[in-house]
Amino acid sequence: MATTPAPPPVTDKPLIEPSPTPYADPPPSPVGASARRLDGLEKVTGEALYAADFFPREADLFATILRSHEAHAEVLSIDTAPAMKVAGVVGVYTHVDVPGTNRQGLIKRDHPVLVEDRVRYKGDALAVVVATSESAAHAGRDAIRVRYRPLPVVGSIDDALAPKAPKLFPNGNVMGGKRIRKGDADRALAEADVVVSETFQTQTVDHAFLDVEAGIARWDGRTLVIHASGQWVHEERRLIALALGLPIEQVRVIQPATGGAFGGREDLGMQVHVGLAALKHPGKTIALRYDRAESMRARHKRHALRIHYTLGARGDGTLTAAKVTVFSDEGAYASTGPAVIRKASSHATGPYRVPNVHVDVYGVYTNNNPTGAMRGFGACQLAVAYEGMIDRLARKLGMDRVELRRRNLVRSGDAVTTGQVIPLATGVECLDAVMDRFRNGGRPLEPLPPYRRRGWGVSTICFGLGYGDGFPDASRAGVRFTRDGFLEVLTGAVEYGQGLLNMVAQIAAAELGMPIEKARVIWADTGRTLESGSSSATRQTYFTGNAVKRAASELKEEILDIAGTHLHVHPHEIVLRDGLAVTRFGEPRSVPIAELVADGFNRGYELSVKALYKPATLCENFETGQSPRAFITYLFVSHLAQVVVDVETGQVTVERYIACHDVGKAINPQSVDGQITGGVAQGIGMALMEEVVMREGRMANANFTDYILPTFRDVPPVETIILENQDPGGPFGARGVGEPPLIAAVPAVLNAIHDALGVAPHTTPCNPQRVWELLHPEQAEPPADIRFRTAPPHARP
Amino acid sequence: MLYQPQILEEALTLKADLGGDVDALAGGTDLLVALSRGQWRPKNVLDLSRVVERSEIRKADSRFSLAHGVTHAQLTRLPVRALAEAALSIGGPQIRNRGTLAGNLGTASPAGDGCVALLALHAEMELTRAGRGSRRLPVRDFFLDYRRTELRPEELITRVVVPADWTSAWHKIGKRGSVNISVVCAAVARSPQGRFGVAFGSVGPYPLTAPKTEALLNAAALTPELIDEAAAMAQTEVSPISDHRASAAYRRAMCGTLLRRLLTEHFLNGRD
Amino acid sequence: MPENVSEHGGAASPADDSIWHWRCKVNGQIIERDLPASTTLLHALRDHCSLTGTKGACEEGECGSCTVLLDGAPVNSCLVLAAQTQDCQVTTIEAMASGRKLHILQDKFLAAGAAQCGYCTPGLIMAAAALLKQHPDPTPDEFLQGMEGNICRCTGYKAISEAIRQAAQEWPTPPEVP
Repeated sequence: MATTPAPPPVTDKPLIEPSPTPYADPPPSPVGASARRLDGLEKVTGEALYAADFFPREADLFATILRSHEAHAEVLSIDTAPAMKVAGVVGVYTHVDVPGTNRQGLIKRDHPVLVEDRVRYKGDALAVVVATSESAAHAGRDAIRVRYRPLPVVGSIDDALAPKAPKLFPNGNVMGGKRIRKGDADRALAEADVVVSETFQTQTVDHAFLDVEAGIARWDGRTLVIHASGQWVHEERRLIALALGLPIEQVRVIQPATGGAFGGREDLGMQVHVGLAALKHPGKTIALRYDRAESMRARHKRHALRIHYTLGARGDGTLTAAKVTVFSDEGAYASTGPAVIRKASSHATGPYRVPNVHVDVYGVYTNNNPTGAMRGFGACQLAVAYEGMIDRLARKLGMDRVELRRRNLVRSGDAVTTGQVIPLATGVECLDAVMDRFRNGGRPLEPLPPYRRRGWGVSTICFGLGYGDGFPDASRAGVRFTRDGFLEVLTGAVEYGQGLLNMVAQIAAAELGMPIEKARVIWADTGRTLESGSSSATRQTYFTGNAVKRAASELKEEILDIAGTHLHVHPHEIVLRDGLAVTRFGEPRSVPIAELVADGFNRGYELSVKALYKPATLCENFETGQSPRAFITYLFVSHLAQVVVDVETGQVTVERYIACHDVGKAINPQSVDGQITGGVAQGIGMALMEEVVMREGRMANANFTDYILPTFRDVPPVETIILENQDPGGPFGARGVGEPPLIAAVPAVLNAIHDALGVAPHTTPCNPQRVWELLHPEQAEPPADIRFRTAPPHARP
Repeated sequence: MLYQPQILEEALTLKADLGGDVDALAGGTDLLVALSRGQWRPKNVLDLSRVVERSEIRKADSRFSLAHGVTHAQLTRLPVRALAEAALSIGGPQIRNRGTLAGNLGTASPAGDGCVALLALHAEMELTRAGRGSRRLPVRDFFLDYRRTELRPEELITRVVVPADWTSAWHKIGKRGSVNISVVCAAVARSPQGRFGVAFGSVGPYPLTAPKTEALLNAAALTPELIDEAAAMAQTEVSPISDHRASAAYRRAMCGTLLRRLLTEHFLNGRD
Repeated sequence: MPENVSEHGGAASPADDSIWHWRCKVNGQIIERDLPASTTLLHALRDHCSLTGTKGACEEGECGSCTVLLDGAPVNSCLVLAAQTQDCQVTTIEAMASGRKLHILQDKFLAAGAAQCGYCTPGLIMAAAALLKQHPDPTPDEFLQGMEGNICRCTGYKAISEAIRQAAQEWPTPPEVP
């Protein structure tokens, strides 16, 4: 930070040197150690540079985006002349100026970078304005004159499926579907002793990462370099190159420090727009940033799902059948929509043995915010349904909720919905662990006034990690020694807070017997690293972890070879640990690895290894949704929430929270704990308060005053239990942690409300009004959000 | 143009001279939100945050007289329960350190937490215009319509006067544990002579009082039955709307619930 | 205009902001800058002083990411005009560490894993510094009242609370008054 004046010492505080980690006896191997975050120091000092932090340092010109004023309209004309008259404006660009495909979108590439003739949501981009200052760019943006012919706004799934609904895309309003057929669900339901039915409605959720989208770009005539925060730099490079008509090698994407993502950065935000501006102004660094309102209005969201769920069981609680119909509001553009409906269907009955399953999932286009990835997509909404149904069934059967779960949870060797057999199923172990903690721990309960009631709820979920269903899924990594004695890991994967840097560094260090302090990571730069796939789908620990381990393992062989010549033993008789090569037998003799590395370079070795990890999953049968290997492996999780509900006001407080995750192996326990606790906080947010309210295609609460996030007061200290049943295919036995904390949290909280009230919630979030309406259904008003105003159609489209 | 007077007289003169052409800026916790959202493009700004003695709190004749710049943080320590609790419910410490009671009145938001407490307490306020002196009026006469008040363009809110010897209580419903915009908030106060004040926030175009409910409570000794009657009456006196924060039905019902709870927990059987 | 055609935009550019000569003691150094009068303290620090450790996130006082100390008290720098800090003292995250020596809160945040994405961290550290200055050994209520203005989207708060509590244990008592 050369431009920052050196601050003088501040006197009113103690100054100390960094102390060692709080864990008294760090395990000898870097794997399993809570080593400090590699990017921690720069983050606690404020020196870490996030995308917007480049602005005062780098920007030559500023760009901004004109967004649609209408939710659904034909664009008749865009008059940019008034903008060009604004002092400071140096360029205004519309779709005619985009040299490439002008399209983006992760799976379905249906989202125009700059709209040609039709806007589909209030946030569609129409023009990019470039100016010498940000305020001039904004003034230019506001001066552009746009004429529209407004079209009827398709504001809800019901609107979209209505017989005379306007067609949003040439093929109609149904984006796609996915099904599961296993056994005969209709017959089994008819024969079931007990049947429970419910319609659930989950809400649209905003990622609300704090670090608002921003980026800088520069085109020097040969390479377009973009610094912006995404989740998959190599795919972003591919999409940017296509949209802008550049050869892929002329685009370089570099990830700055990133303040959260949660799936919200999987789709491109402003990368192509800032890149376009750079192409038009060679040699200039262009800066573009959203404000919070633009971030919320423009970005894709978590899908709101309407789920019709019917579950049948025998009198003893054995599940026999599930029939599930799901409609997903895809919004204006689908992007990852197809993956979301696949994940919803393959997780439709969660971790339970259900012999007869009938699932239909449909994605439906509307004029709401486009949708995309968000932590736990598809699986998260379905968990609300299947875990809610288990508790409803328990009540109807008069059976204990935990016992009912134990009876039906898949055991090792059983199959889940897709037919995939789970070799190591640990749902029961997780459930037992949280119940044990719950019943044998915790502080004494405070007595409550009569209008407050206490309840607890439990959830158990399973989650298939990785893309699954035969989708290409691979990671590449490089591991090398440097001449200054460092162990360097190169990965294309993105760190956005989840702890990826430590994960790869600790694995490489463990494999090579090096202290973590000697490891460093080069990451997420398409100019320097290989493609590692997205930081999403809970996949990086498994995929990139394995790639790093493979590369490190091969590099180890090289070091062992050199060590053999130094120690005069066969390389197999040497181990690497604590920075030393040590003989295994007899009186231990050792030589520092640094010496071996130096010797290796002298011999002309590269000491640099690249590796690929590419396990196969299998595409499902389209008719039945069955696949013997839909996912590479499954995670099992159980959560317990204890809540206090004010039955007069409907306010819910989460009083105690226990989360048990079988992560295979915690590469860095502190990171794992942080991921679990943070996911639970987001789950509490989704269960109780967060909700995007759309009105006629306009987000009514595009700010943090009305889009409510959990605060310190809303999240109790989560009691985490980490189980380590090692996965045979995972690096050091690790599976992962990412998404399940959120997935399991939402139903645990809802089930606790059910327990407290005796009435089961069906709509998220359970904000005070919704809880009150559960108890006073006669006073329930149609929600402010028009999407949910009409009765759900039970018919298939 | 930004004006930064150090003494109140100067501020009043500027306001009187510029009238509607200048926006008074107190703590900035409302106006700067509008600035950030592009809803406020200031031409002239009168920054009151430098005026000396703006934070003064005087106690005389069993009344607290609060200068215009008294912050929510200061109010949290004031021994007037409804006002202190209302102040504590506003934002986090960063907001409470900046936001002022006079600013809360000036903004006249229907959800103005401080305003609701002042209404229940039958507080008074002083509006001053340079050269014409001050006029004092009950806070109850201040609000006219949605974000419209008795404050004239040439005037500033210079003081708020709150009784120090009333019993009072406050409750707010928000959607999370802290930093909430009221879905509904309520305040109840009672003078040593037994006169009640009842007020609600977020259930009308501006912070509302409930005069019929007050009359009911003033007329008889407080009993559980009277409390039920008052709770029912209060629901007829409010005019909530449905919006993205809550439905009208819920807000109306909550007015009854909060009033019943406040009266039962803090006023019945001479509690507090 | 024909029916069912809507027209938007065409706004005349707004009047230019007047210029304010800002003078402020930031992290112990007098800084003077000519700024548009409507510049917030947040943007003055970030865009005009390159002090980008202070983060903007909601820019309406709801998240606390932009917390700085203004004459020792925590404020949201997005809700204060730079002009309102004329001749005041502003302390930002950049002043917390002294060279390689971390402030005790920074050290505890690092050790407890309280910074994940790290974006809320500077604001949290400033709010916590103000809290511990006022309440060196905060009760649970004082703790929540001091920290409730800061939002963290990724940690779930546990590690942050832990870090602040550990810092409190080593905080000097009685606190030094600046």
